[in-house]
Amino acid sequence: MTAARLFAESVPVHPDVHLLRTDAGPRVLIADGSRLFGVGQALYDRIDAARRDPDPRLVDSLLADLGLDAPRQVDDLAPDPPPVRALSLAVAQKCNLGCTYCYAQQGDFGGPAKNMPEATAFAAVDTLFRDAGPGERVNLAFLGGEPMINRPVVRSATEYAVAVSRRTGTPVTFSITTNGTLLTPEDGEFFEAHGFAVTVSLDGVGARHDLLRPHRDGRGSYRRVMDRVAPLLAAQRRMQVSARVTVTPLNLDLPRTLEEFTAAGFHGVGFSPMLSSPNGHGEMASRDLEVMLEQMTACGEEFVRRVLAGQRYPFTNLVTALREIHRGTHRPYPCGAGAGYLGVSADGDLAACHRFVGDSDGAMGDLTTGVDDAKRARWLTDRHVHRQEPCNGCWARYLCGGGCHHEVIRRGRPACDYIRGWLHHCLSVYSRLLAARPDYFTG
Amino acid sequence: MSDDRIDPMNLTAQLHYSAAGNPPSTLPDSAISNAFPGLEFDIRNIWRRLLVGIELHESDNYVVGADPEHERLVGRRLLSVGDHDVVGALVGPTRPGSGSSRLTSADNPDGVTMLEWSNSLADVLADHVGQTVPCLFTSGPASKPVGKPSSLPDPRFEVVQLEVRALFAKSGTTGGDLAVIAEEMAGPGDLTRGLCSPWQNDYRECACYYWAASRPDYVNVEDTAAGTTTGNHWFAKDREPREYVLDNRFDSRLVSYDDLFRDWQGELRFIVDGKDAPEYRETEPDGDGR
Repeated sequence: MTAARLFAESVPVHPDVHLLRTDAGPRVLIADGSRLFGVGQALYDRIDAARRDPDPRLVDSLLADLGLDAPRQVDDLAPDPPPVRALSLAVAQKCNLGCTYCYAQQGDFGGPAKNMPEATAFAAVDTLFRDAGPGERVNLAFLGGEPMINRPVVRSATEYAVAVSRRTGTPVTFSITTNGTLLTPEDGEFFEAHGFAVTVSLDGVGARHDLLRPHRDGRGSYRRVMDRVAPLLAAQRRMQVSARVTVTPLNLDLPRTLEEFTAAGFHGVGFSPMLSSPNGHGEMASRDLEVMLEQMTACGEEFVRRVLAGQRYPFTNLVTALREIHRGTHRPYPCGAGAGYLGVSADGDLAACHRFVGDSDGAMGDLTTGVDDAKRARWLTDRHVHRQEPCNGCWARYLCGGGCHHEVIRRGRPACDYIRGWLHHCLSVYSRLLAARPDYFTG
Repeated sequence: MSDDRIDPMNLTAQLHYSAAGNPPSTLPDSAISNAFPGLEFDIRNIWRRLLVGIELHESDNYVVGADPEHERLVGRRLLSVGDHDVVGALVGPTRPGSGSSRLTSADNPDGVTMLEWSNSLADVLADHVGQTVPCLFTSGPASKPVGKPSSLPDPRFEVVQLEVRALFAKSGTTGGDLAVIAEEMAGPGDLTRGLCSPWQNDYRECACYYWAASRPDYVNVEDTAAGTTTGNHWFAKDREPREYVLDNRFDSRLVSYDDLFRDWQGELRFIVDGKDAPEYRETEPDGDGR
C-alpha cells in the first residue's frame, strides 16, 4: 500500500474503533485495550456504518451487542508516580561530533561543557537501588553528549552498580547510547562482560552519515565509527549492539541502510524521524514523512519475506510494533519518562528523561533532595493522553501514547499521519504473519 | 471467514472477548477456581502430573497413580518437593475466645493440612522446571494426613528423586513456550472433569463462599427485644417455627441433597429484601389487553 493510501486509510473516524482491510481479511481494532479482531465483510460494514453515524453511542451499543465491549482498560486518572527503576546518566555533557539537529545542542544542552563527577554517578546509582524491592530489576543507562568522553565514570559507575546489585540482590541491566567514535576493543570487552545494550547512532551509509554526523571540524565520522564498532559486533554474546538512525530529509534511503547494517551484524536497526531540533535543522516536513513511510513499508515487506523464510531480520521498529500489537499493549503515555524513568544531568539534577537535561519543563528534583514526586505526579497528570489534543479523537492513542513528550512540547504533533499510517501498516503485517507464521508470536 | 464470525486475534482480544452464548463466567478474570473446583475449569487438575512418574490427587497430597517404576508410591503421601513443603501445621482456637493450638483429631493425629497446589507448587514450577528434585514421601500407604518428620533420615519416610514437568507446551517450530497448558500436564477433559454443579450440591455446601455472596443463608430475620434475632435457614422446609436450624444434611427439617437433585426449582424460594417472596401466581390478563 502506498504511503498516501496508508494516510487515507488510517484517518481517524471514531476514537474507539479503527477498521482495516488486510490481505488476511477485514479487521477491527478496538482502541481501548488494543484489541484486534478478524470479522466478516458484513460485520465490517455494520461497524463502519456505526462509526460514521453522527450519534457516537451507536458504536457503543453495537460493540456491546457483538460481545466486543469490555471493562475500560485506560481511564482518565493518572497513576501515582511509580518507583524509579531506570536512570540515564548524562556522564558527559559534551561531544566530539557536530550533528546539526542534536537535541543536546552538540552535547552541552546549551550550557557549559562538563563531565559528571564520579560521586554524582555513585549517588545516582544509590538513588536507583534505594527503593527497589525483592524481585525488581533496575536499569542504568549512559548517555550524553557522548558518554565515552567520560569513560572512567562509565566504568566506575557500572562496577559500583554491580557491587550494589550483589549486595542487595536486585538485578541490574546496563545500556549506553554512543556515537561510536571513541569505542575501543577494551570497551567492547567491558560491555560484553556486563551485558550492555549498546546503541550506536548511525544516520545512514557512508556519505549520508558523514553529512549529518560530522566531526566538529567537518570531517566525516562513518568510517571511523564502523571501524571502532566492528570488534563489538564480533564480540556480542550477552551484549547487544544496535544501530539507531535519526531520519532527516537527507537520509531517506532506509531499505539500503537497514540492509547494510543488518549485513554488518547489528542486533537491531531502528529508525526515528527528526521531528524537533533546537534550530529547526533536519526536521521532517509532511512530504518527507510520506517518503519515510514508503521507505518504512518497503523495509517491512523485506521483513515479512525474511520471516516467512524463517530468517531473523532485525528491523527493530516492526519487531517492537508486532510484539506490542500481539500483547495488546495499551498505555496513556508514550514512554516511561517522568514516571519510572528519569534522566540525571552531570550536576546531579533529575529530569523527565535524557532529553530534558537542563530544561525546566522536565525538572524532577535532584540527587541531593531526592526525586520530586509532586512534579512527577503533575507531569503524569498533564501528559496523560486523554488530556492531549488531538489525541482524544484518535484511534491510535493507546498504541502511540501521544508522541515523544520532548518533541511534542517543542514542536507539537507534526507526524500524526505518519504514526497512524505506520501503525495501520503494522496491524496489517501482524494479521498476515499471524495467519502465515503463528509460531513467530508464540516461539 | 463467515460473515457473522468474530475472531479475537491478539492476546487482549482473546482475554476479553465474550463469545456469543457464553456467560461472563467463561472469562478467565471471573474464574474462581483455585482451591475449589470452579464453574468454568478446575485449575487444580493441572498440578496432578507436575512430577514425572506419579499422579497426585487434585486436592490432597496423596498419590493416586504411578508409572510401573514408581508403583510403590501409590497410596503414599507427598510432604515436600525440593525445599518447598506441601503440608503445614493446622493451628487455631478450639472454642470462642480460646488461644490457638495445634488442631489434632483422631482422623488427623499430626494436626496438619495439605497446602493447596496452586500456592505450594507454584514456586516449585518457578524454581525447578525441567530439573530432578528430592521429593519426601511417607514410606508406606497413609490414609490419614501425616506431618513432616523433625529430622531425616527417618524410616517412616523416603526421599525419591522426581523430575518437575513444564506447565506450558513448547512450540514444535521454535521450541519456545506456548500459551497452552502441556498435554502431559492436563489431557483433554482433565480441566473440566470435576466442576462445581451449583444447581445441585453446591446450593447446600459451596465451601469457597462463592455462592454465599449471591445466595441467602439466613432469611426472614427479625430483631427480638433481647437483642438477638430470629429467622429461618433458607433450606428450612417449613418457615414456622421461626428458628435457625443448624446446617446438617441429615436433618429432615432442611432440604436434602436428594430434594435438590429432584426438584431444586420447587424447593428453593425467591428471597426479596431478605424475606421470602410472595408465592408467584398467574394473574388474569387485563381485559383491555394492556
